[in-house]
Amino acid sequence: MSPNSAGRAEKLGYTNVKVYHEGLPEWTKRNCTVLSSQFLKDAYIDKDIPHVLLDVRDAASARKGFIKGAVTMPAASIAANIAAFPPKDKKPPIIVYDQNGGDNAKNAAKTLVASGYTSVTVVTGGMDAWQAAKFPVETGNLATAIVYVPKPRPGEIAIEDFRKIALVTPADTLILDVRNRDEANAGMIKGATLVPDEEILDRLADVPKNRRIITHCSTGVRAEMAYHKLKEKGYNVAFLNAKVDIDKDGNFKLEKP
Amino acid sequence: MPFVRSSTGLALVLASAITVNAGPAVSQEKTAPPQAKPTVAKICSNCHQPEAGSLRGNFDGVAYKTQSIQVKIDDTTEILRFDKAALKVQNVPAENPDEPLRSIKKGKEVRIAYTEKDGKKTATLVVAKPAIKIAPEKLLSTTEVEKLVANGPEKGGYLLIDARPAPRFMEGAIPTAINIPFPAFEKMTDKLPKDKNALIVYYCAGMT
Repeated sequence: MSPNSAGRAEKLGYTNVKVYHEGLPEWTKRNCTVLSSQFLKDAYIDKDIPHVLLDVRDAASARKGFIKGAVTMPAASIAANIAAFPPKDKKPPIIVYDQNGGDNAKNAAKTLVASGYTSVTVVTGGMDAWQAAKFPVETGNLATAIVYVPKPRPGEIAIEDFRKIALVTPADTLILDVRNRDEANAGMIKGATLVPDEEILDRLADVPKNRRIITHCSTGVRAEMAYHKLKEKGYNVAFLNAKVDIDKDGNFKLEKP
Repeated sequence: MPFVRSSTGLALVLASAITVNAGPAVSQEKTAPPQAKPTVAKICSNCHQPEAGSLRGNFDGVAYKTQSIQVKIDDTTEILRFDKAALKVQNVPAENPDEPLRSIKKGKEVRIAYTEKDGKKTATLVVAKPAIKIAPEKLLSTTEVEKLVANGPEKGGYLLIDARPAPRFMEGAIPTAINIPFPAFEKMTDKLPKDKNALIVYYCAGMT
């Protein structure tokens, strides 16, 4: 998506367009990401997407007003408590806030990234921004134990289930490869059908309605976009939320994103 | 969700507009000019305008025996003749030097230049869409992006754009990035800098 966007910007006459092609997967190995308090509420709390929410202020400040679901863990104590976190390979989204989105939260995030967590996000503006947005504030004692129960995203198929279907695809199921043609030309899963995500709505005739559709791409992002498009059109559809590598013979490697 | 909107939404709007203005259907049919066949497939029209003597669509097949090419432009199929000796083919792997069109996979985006005589089209050039490759000087490394972000957009003089769908952006993005999902590019050009020489950096979820 970024090379395509860059191409369009150049068509508009922009002369200094660059692409950070390695993108988020590389960024998050070394850095945290950010989100606004609005997005914390909309994308995680209201949608009930499993995550770990850390209040990294000192315990006394936290008790005066915190975000529901937060675990108290002052920034300086994170390294000593790293064993209390969910295993790294589960890739839990860890969201960190302090009073104002300052160094306290950033240092806490750094510690977590350095410990190998690859989805560490700081709330921009911290508790101040949350309160300025008039979102609900809890007072009293915070949780002290981290509880993280992973849950698939809506429409997500388990990686192991996908693997079985990709090896032996039942007659009532179709694997839909939604990558672009150049990616597909380098190798496709045997029996899969290619309809690039951006073409799906124009090519619904190529997607059978009487079969279960399972979309995949190379990262899970386009597969999920395609899932929503097909779901809206009434398809029985699921998507693979995984990093997918396919060689020219159709052998594939799946990895949690 | 805004990012899954597509031409369908527009098509519905157009269709309803036509219904409203149609008046008595019969007389309308008589006066309406015949619909010209499209020359550029929708998927190509994102980046390309129609031009005389040129078709853009998905390669459908070739018959060297009858020297004809079939290309799909959305729901229509165009058949063009070609002269094997005169036809030029570009951006195709050199595995079939005698019959290069055989190396183009069905569905591959192609541009076909042609001449037309007595309503019959003869292809003179077939160009397969090149793989999306980014010139090395246009690539930024993680270290370079880290440096920019550490300085911030004003001091660093950049605009960082996350091209992923909005729900993914909301879950966490590189600091200082704004979100312009690729499918919404055209609708959000007002978010781009006024200065056409400003540094714009795009990223998404990796090598896509």
